[in-house]
Amino acid sequence: MEPADLAGLALDAATGDGAGYADVRYVEGRSEAITVQDERVEDLESGSTRGVGVRVLVDGCWGFAATAVLDEASLAATGKLAVEIARAAARLQNERVRLAPVEPVVGTWATPVGQDPFDMPLDDKIALLLAATEAQRSVPGLAYAQASLDLFRRRSVFVSSEGARIDQTVTQTGAGIEAVATGDGDLQRRTWPNSFRGQYEGGGWEAVLAMDLVSNGPRIAREAVELLAAPELPERTTTVILDGQQLALQVHESVGHALELDRIFGMEAGYAGTSFVAPDQRGKLRYGSELMSVTVDSTTPRGMGTFGYDDEGVPAQRTPAIVDGVLAGFLTSRETAAVLGEASNGTTRADGWGNLPLIRMTNVNLEPRQGRLEELIADTDDGVLLTTNKSWSIDDKRINFQFATEVAWEIRHGRLGRMFKNPTYDGRTTRFWGSMDAVCGPQDWKVWGTPNCGKGQPGQIARVSHGVAPARFRNVHVGVRA
Amino acid sequence: MTRLGADRMLELAEAALAVDGVDEVEALLLRGSGGLTRFAGNRIHQSTATEDLEVRVRAVVDGNRVGVASTHDASPTGARQTAARAREVAHAIPPDPGYPGMPGPAAYPDAGRYDEATAATAPAERAELIAGVIERLPDGVTAAGTLETGELEVAVANSRGVRGAYATTRATFSILADAGSGTGYAEAVEPALAELPVDALGGRAAEKAVASRDPRDLQPGAYPVILEPAAVATMIEFLGYLGFGAKAYHEGRSFLTGRLGSQVADPSVTILDDGLAPDTIGAPFDFEGVPKQVVTLIDRGVAANLLYDWRSAEEHGRQPTGHGLPAPSSEGAYPLNLTMRPGGRSAADLAAGLERGLLVTRFHYTNVVHPMETSITGMTRDGTFLVEDGKIVGGVKNLRFTQSILGALSAVRGISRETELIGEGSFTTVRCPTLSIASFNFSSATTF
Repeated sequence: MEPADLAGLALDAATGDGAGYADVRYVEGRSEAITVQDERVEDLESGSTRGVGVRVLVDGCWGFAATAVLDEASLAATGKLAVEIARAAARLQNERVRLAPVEPVVGTWATPVGQDPFDMPLDDKIALLLAATEAQRSVPGLAYAQASLDLFRRRSVFVSSEGARIDQTVTQTGAGIEAVATGDGDLQRRTWPNSFRGQYEGGGWEAVLAMDLVSNGPRIAREAVELLAAPELPERTTTVILDGQQLALQVHESVGHALELDRIFGMEAGYAGTSFVAPDQRGKLRYGSELMSVTVDSTTPRGMGTFGYDDEGVPAQRTPAIVDGVLAGFLTSRETAAVLGEASNGTTRADGWGNLPLIRMTNVNLEPRQGRLEELIADTDDGVLLTTNKSWSIDDKRINFQFATEVAWEIRHGRLGRMFKNPTYDGRTTRFWGSMDAVCGPQDWKVWGTPNCGKGQPGQIARVSHGVAPARFRNVHVGVRA
Repeated sequence: MTRLGADRMLELAEAALAVDGVDEVEALLLRGSGGLTRFAGNRIHQSTATEDLEVRVRAVVDGNRVGVASTHDASPTGARQTAARAREVAHAIPPDPGYPGMPGPAAYPDAGRYDEATAATAPAERAELIAGVIERLPDGVTAAGTLETGELEVAVANSRGVRGAYATTRATFSILADAGSGTGYAEAVEPALAELPVDALGGRAAEKAVASRDPRDLQPGAYPVILEPAAVATMIEFLGYLGFGAKAYHEGRSFLTGRLGSQVADPSVTILDDGLAPDTIGAPFDFEGVPKQVVTLIDRGVAANLLYDWRSAEEHGRQPTGHGLPAPSSEGAYPLNLTMRPGGRSAADLAAGLERGLLVTRFHYTNVVHPMETSITGMTRDGTFLVEDGKIVGGVKNLRFTQSILGALSAVRGISRETELIGEGSFTTVRCPTLSIASFNFSSATTF
């Protein structure tokens, strides 16, 4: 039976049992993860998954049920269970869910892929990763070297009681290297192109080739070893330039999550929290300096949040979130957009087949301005360049944050100087973004993948991206100590 | 949503084990089924039910080439195809000279509880329990949270004769009460829904919310603190993440590296991993089919033992402790049932003994600042109170802490006799008491 027919069985069962609205997602996923440590393949797993998730509205209450058992009886039972769950929710209902209208789409979409990463021989993948660890190990003093590769493919077939029928396939590829040095009770890491298993993109093997994992190996290994002897970043208030990797996570935590309309409405209060932003602040709230313009863009080439349609069948689109420093929009779903009397801007996604779709970041991008990073450094008399995220934390309204990066490079009189280890910086969201006085231009603008965004209960993981160019912030507190 | 049972789980495993052309093969089956009812703003807004069975196959060829494949296709054909895919992967992998072979059969302890009623909980039952809590909230207080019930079935079989299966159930309730300018939180996890004190947890969260209204500003700095179990659990979980496993220890990335046998915490602190305790979500064996052992990790403040999976035990000439994760795992052995031993005083007594300090309900969005120093940062949340002369005098605006965990555990001056099992939304659980700590570093503050 074809996926759309399987989904149709569950859809018919749900609507036949009383669902006023129903949508069904058939999802089949394929993954491959390889980790090489020194000369050994530590992990290599080839995964596959397949299942169906049924979402229904009954008298204005949601129900959701999912199964990996795809026979006729199970699909019908799952459709009926979703209805039973929605009926149970009526016991505690103080408002009816309404959905913003969307034109039902019949269509297909697929990530543009240069070279299919799943077709590459495993031998070649392993050989590349081994070469990458060998290149790092050419540097004396390293504790160990890692290289990793992650591939994801997700085909989803979406059908709804409104007549939508969408078949799309998303392919994402990630890779990275990590050098670890230890000594005297210290541990220092350097990664490339990004921390936490590297850089992730929508696309294929061409993304891995562009990372130059082997040729960057000796450099990051040297930096890891040098960090052991580097001084700690002293505590002070100073000028900070964030590189793209770190700035992407700053956008993620202090802009993207804060503008999710479900959080703003309190729907995530019990877990990840809410937001300092209120729905009526659009056009009024000064979020940052006039150089700050942020877009929510699921059409960004090579983004991890790039698709043809979201998991409610809403077409991909680019919408403004912050324009010249002023709040301009939110990330919305059909349910939350309807509360504001608007159409959804298509940011609803689910982790696999077994989870309820939620508002998730797509590609939340800080738009570029002008100049190169070298020029920005040359224009900075005294400060630090903070490179590559190491840890992150922000309060449950997205105001107070603290980040750590792998390295801080001193900037004195427009030149990069010595390195500092264990750098941290902290601040409050609108004050921090208000202090941004320079954003680099399109030549330094790059889309960075965030593969591990957690949200919801049961917990879901989303892979999202942020296009950013390095930016400068004034009067930032750095060097927090335990 | 019917329990599959040990016989059918192992039958499916046999289909994977029948793969030919391998030297060794292992099948790990994980079946989860359950429902979660989620509420916010006093209404049920998201409710889900999921049934899933994952088959993970590890195949070995040429003596030491190891491949892993997984599927969610729970048919015998799916299991067979996955085993063949694992074999293909193994052929592509370079030899692993340190591969220790698979474990053999062993006798398993009695652990893990299965409660039929919890597994069979209907969505309407969960909704009714939540409605009962919401209806008892004081005026002006709303609530958000979850009630989840479900079962987990695990089976491990390998070509060396391991055959093991068990089933457990789990019920969790978490509630965040919102009284306007103050919030409060409570959570619990139990093997059986009937043992989950849903109403009491709702009452506790509401009391905290009301008591923390109109919070005052407090200058960041070092304060004596009372950390309630949810906050303590965060610290203990992070210790697990930062390296109780032998692999992390020997790679030099564990905070314990070079410190085994040393005093790392106050002598009143004892931390163990105990998956066999009747009052936890336990398991008789790990994901390699090795029997679980109770391991004392920090014994009266001294770093005492490490956790060993099958491979690290072979490498270092030790007995495996039953803490292996599903293959492939670059992490090595990992604690899933951390427990901190209780003390002799009541939690109320600990707060009453505080001259001036803070009482913290829980932490939020905690992350590592420096792994070797066990330094972490995060925010307080949902009930942070100023205590003066042993009494709560009101709520304070939430604070960010940047603090070494071992530093805090070295400054323990009191441990409650009551403990709570914490593990909402997590595969792991931590049983821990309330702690009184002489000094805890708050590095900045937020606005609410």
